[in-house]
This record gives sequence, structure tokens and C-alpha cells, in this order.
Amino acid sequence: MSMFLKIYKKQFSCYQMRPSVNRPPTPDARLDREKEPSVLEIINIKLIESGEKERLMELLRERLIECGWKDEMKALCRAFVKKKGRNNVTVDDLVHVIMPKGRASIPDSVKAELLQRIRTFLVSAAV
Amino acid sequence: MSSKINHHRINGQIPQPCPHLAEYRTRNGSKPFRALQECLRVKPLGRAAIRRDPSEVPRCGACGEAARSRLYACVTCAAVSCHSSDSPSPSHAAAHAVSMPPGHEIAVDVDRAELFCCACRDQVYDRDFDAAVVVAQTTASTLGGGSIRSSPPPENLRKRRRVDYRPWTPDLRERVLMTRNSSPLQRTEGADGANLSNLPWGLRGLNNLGNTCFMNSVLQALLHTPPLRNYFLSDRHNRYYCQQKNNASNASKRNAASNDSNSNKNLRLCLACDMDAMFSAVFSGDRTPYSPAKFLYSWWQHAANLASYEQQDAHEFFISMLDGIHEKMGKDKRKTQSQGNGECCIAHRVFSGILRSDVMCMACGFTSTTYDPCVDISLDLEPNQGVSTKMGSTKSHHSCNGEADSMNSSQNCGTSTLMGCLDRFTRPERLGSDQKFFCQQCQVRQESLKQMSIRKLPLVSCFHIKRFEHSSIRNMSRKVDRYLQFPFSLDMAPYLSSSILRSRFGNRIFSFDGDEPDASNELSSEFELFAVVTHTGKLDAGHYVTYLRLSNQWYKCDDAWITQVNENIVRAAQGYMMFYVQKMLYYKASEKPTPS
Repeated sequence: MSMFLKIYKKQFSCYQMRPSVNRPPTPDARLDREKEPSVLEIINIKLIESGEKERLMELLRERLIECGWKDEMKALCRAFVKKKGRNNVTVDDLVHVIMPKGRASIPDSVKAELLQRIRTFLVSAAV
Repeated sequence: MSSKINHHRINGQIPQPCPHLAEYRTRNGSKPFRALQECLRVKPLGRAAIRRDPSEVPRCGACGEAARSRLYACVTCAAVSCHSSDSPSPSHAAAHAVSMPPGHEIAVDVDRAELFCCACRDQVYDRDFDAAVVVAQTTASTLGGGSIRSSPPPENLRKRRRVDYRPWTPDLRERVLMTRNSSPLQRTEGADGANLSNLPWGLRGLNNLGNTCFMNSVLQALLHTPPLRNYFLSDRHNRYYCQQKNNASNASKRNAASNDSNSNKNLRLCLACDMDAMFSAVFSGDRTPYSPAKFLYSWWQHAANLASYEQQDAHEFFISMLDGIHEKMGKDKRKTQSQGNGECCIAHRVFSGILRSDVMCMACGFTSTTYDPCVDISLDLEPNQGVSTKMGSTKSHHSCNGEADSMNSSQNCGTSTLMGCLDRFTRPERLGSDQKFFCQQCQVRQESLKQMSIRKLPLVSCFHIKRFEHSSIRNMSRKVDRYLQFPFSLDMAPYLSSSILRSRFGNRIFSFDGDEPDASNELSSEFELFAVVTHTGKLDAGHYVTYLRLSNQWYKCDDAWITQVNENIVRAAQGYMMFYVQKMLYYKASEKPTPS
């Protein structure tokens, strides 16, 4: 229980934005969120704070390059740009185009490896 | 860290700013991204991020989202919003741009430090911003004792200034000298008559002296290596003069020491002299096959452990031979430095390049850099059947015959290419937990990332394909026969240190001077294939054949038999060693008045 509280408090402090020019009115979101942070959010924060998320991202990048996933996505993007014309394509378009195939074609081994790493991390972070 | 090389040149075209970015720039004067610079954080592995506070976990101000979408921070008011590329999902970044007064359209991706226009929903580029990011990344990676500069780049790389090529024509005196001391070569009509005389100069078969195809194949390649050929044919190493010098110095040595066999050896052993003799013989116009017996004998004396009539490895012979030439000619004791410059001997002048190795600690980002000379590059073939097996049923449906420049497609089709091997060679490699590297900054052994790149290209690049697999289980080696596609023209730019460093820092529009201010970056990195040594057969019993390219015609050199072949034969051959020469040669002002 105390772990949750500690994280919750720390989380709250992240909302304090530095004063800067033309600061917008305080977002209303803060008032709505007087509830327990979800498990997902807690895990995310722990991953980021320990630096593990960064390492996992690098590992994922490496694996996706090794198995040719990145090349495949790049080729899809190229084909799309060729079809639509270089000046008529936005990043959003490209993300939209490769998202379904991208999500579906990630090898199971990569998913398994990352899940395993996250599990291991959680076990070590829980103590 | 982007580990895939950007094959296009970024310096070429800068995308035009969108109207919102243009307006933002005009409104905010000369240093529009000043506030952002203070928020630039460089993560341990070199990636740049935007954080107002180092330990901040950014989340969308509107919905609190922190993990599922990209997060963008408005450059005007620092509000963080989420953005999703799929229309149904909300994009609070776009909402922010719309709901605020004009001027809040430009935002920056908090995890990638890349500019985004929320109104246009597209990435935008700004030179000043990218410059600031690269500076931050470079600074971060050099913290802890100037890591990138820790081992200084080899000296003498730029010492002599570059001069324009001036063609030489002999003056009257030189013309007289030449005519008096030379005799014209006769084109001999062989048994085939017209056929043989159509062959270009320097094509001559080499007799197999007993399993010496490994030597013949490499010699054929070297005999037609343009800088090497030019060196010997222009009498830069005169064997008579060299022997005279040897005799003179040995005479004095013999008085001092009474070891006869040693001095005899010195008398005879000069691989360069034997090369000189061979060049003379091969380019004499005589078409009857030549027996390189003298050369073989000299080489046996140099590489005693390989002296037998057993089959040898051509690559091993190549290295051994270059070493032999260096040993006799190289007088410079500063071995590494001069090898890299090629100032020690002709072998290194032609073949020696400099490799750069960066080892980056994964915990703190400290990078340790070393430079090593190399006379060739040994490449691994990809471990599996290309990448198609790993992709499973999602094997590419786009045609492999498509774009000629997209070697990525062919990778997905399962064909190994030379450029693919070079990509693998220069890709960051994770040094596993059993190979932890001692990090000077952390003062402990850490997991590291190692990346190779080419600091200086040699005049002639020799690529050696490691076609042997060693199985530790069965404790035996096996030959890998897998086909490797190799291009006739090769641009080495993506594998240069400057390109690798640039790609490490992401897709930035920034003329990256970094720590590589060498003028050689502007020089051409284009190479042309001129010789291919192929191997057929098994690991311990096979045959080497060399294909030579002369005046864009291909010739097959199979020991004593030379035949003209179609280029498709060469393309389909199993390449073991590929020789590429630089298309453009550059000249530096000579230090000595007359080179010896």
C-alpha cells in the first residue's frame, strides 16, 4: 500500500509545470484524476524511472531490425509515398498505413522476449 | 539510436517549412527554440528527448495519457498533449493548436526531439533546432574525458594538401632517355593467331605448380590492381637496383656475421622484386602461360608454415604476401601509423584503410573509440537463409526485381548481398553479458554496444567473405556455399565513420562536422569492381578461379587458361574475394622532390 502512495504522490508532483510565457489555463484533467492510478500507469512510471523502458526500447529496435521488420515497414512507406507523391504525404498518413501490418507482423519471439524482460523487471522492482 | 544506415544524403534537400513553422520563426526571431534547448536531455544511449525536469514522466495535459500515444510539447507554452495518427482516437495536440490563439501549432515530440506541426499533422524540419539537438548529443557523448576525442584520429591524414592532377608529358631530354633505354614490346601471334592478339595487355595464364591455384588466383587479381600495376610497370621498384642494394648491404653484414644461410636468404628474398619480374613477364606481350616458380619459392621462404604443396587459402596467401612486401620494403618503425597512411610500402599504400571502432557503455553512454589499419574487410555471411524465415508467412509480397536501389527488398527475399554484409558489419552490435566492457566512466564492466565504421577508405578495397562455419558441437568446419550478390559499382559512403555517426544521431538536417572535419568526406567514395576470386568445391578440396574486368570486358583466369566470358557468368559466381578500386584518384602534394 505504501508503495502505491509513494508513487501517487510522485505522480502528482509531475503535474507542476515550470512557469513559462503564455502558459495556458491549468488543465482540468488534474481535478478529474483524484483516483487510484491504474496498474498500467504504475508499471509505466516504474519502467521510466529506472531507465528500463529506454533499454527495452533499444532492445526492441534491435530485434525489429534483425528480423527485417523495419525494412518491411520502410518498403511499405516507400511504396505509399511513391503512389501518393512525395509532397502529399504526412507522417500521420504513413503511421496510419503501416500500423495494421506493423502490429500484426511482429514476430512472436520478439513479443515473448520483451514480456519476459518486463516480468523479470517487475519481480525485481517489487521487492 | 538509428542503426540502419540512411542511404540517401540528408544534405541534399531541405524540406520547405510549412506556413505555421515559417510564421513561428518570423515571430520568434533569431533564437526561436531557445527555451527548448534547456529542456534537451540526452539519454544514455544517445537519443535526445525533451524534458522540463530530468525525472519528469510526461503525460497529456488533457487526458493524462502517458504510454499509448506519442506526446508532443507545444513550443510556445510547453503544454504536453497526446497525438494519435488514427482519426478516431483523440489528438489533443491538434485540439490544442486549434483551441489556442495562433502560434501554438508547432510542437516537439518529447521522446524523439523532433518538430511536429499539429495543424498540418506532419513532421517539420528546422536547421537551427536540429543543430541544437546534435550539439547536445555530441556534448553528452563526449562527457567524461572527451571520449570521442580520447584516441586522436591518425595523424598525417590531412597533412599534405590536395593538388590537382597534372598530366605528365616528357620533355625532349626525357624523351631521349626513354627511347634510348627501352625497346618496344611486340605483340606475339600465338597459335590462335587473331584470337590471342585481341586480348588486352597483361592477360597471361599462370601455370599451376601443384595445388597453387590459391596463389594464381590472387596473383591475377594483383597483376591487374590498377595502382599496383602502375607502380611496378613504371619501374618504381626496380629488381636489379634492389638486388644491388641488397648485395652491398649484405657484403658488409657478411663481414660482421658468419651466418651464411641468413645472408643468402637476404640476397634472394624480396617479394617485391619477384612481383616486378612477374609484372614484366606478364605484360611483355608473351601469351604463353607463365610459371611463377620463383615467386612461390620466395613466398615459401617468407611464410614457412605454409610452404607445402597442399591446398592453401587464397585470403591467407593474400595477407601473407602483403606482409612479405611490407617486411622487405617498410623501414618505418611506427608500424600502425604508417600502415594507415600507406607510407611504409606499396602494399599498404594500395590496400590499407583505417577502421574505426566505437564501444558505447549502455549504462552511461560513454564511448571509447579506437582506430586500426586494415588491408581488407572480412565479412560474415548472414547466419540464416536471409531474413525470410524469421518473418514467417508475412514474407514480402512486393517484387524483388523492383527498385534497383532498394536492397532492402532483396534482403526480404532471402538473397545475401555485399551491401547487406557491409550493413551488418557496421551495425551496432550488442556485446553480451559475457563480454562486458570496462567503462572508464562507470569504472565497472558494463554491457556495451560496439559499432564499426570506416575512417579512411583504401585505394583498393578487398572484401573477403567468410565462407566457413565452425560448429563447436561437432568440432569441425564447413564451407558455406550460399550465393552472395555483389555489385559492379559500389558506393562506400554509408559505411564511412561520418555517415555512421550522422545516422547514430537520427534523421537531422545538420551538416555534421562533428569530429570528422576531414576533407575526405567530400571526396568520392565510389568504387568499381575489377577482380573476383571465386571458389568452388569443399573446404579442404576445391579450386580457385579469378574473373578480371578489363575495359568492361570480363575474363576468366583459370590457372593457365584465359577466356573471355559474359558478365552474367561473373554475377552468378560464388564470390570469395572481391576487389574494388576507387573511381577517382586524388593527388596530394609530394613531400619529396622525386619519389624513389
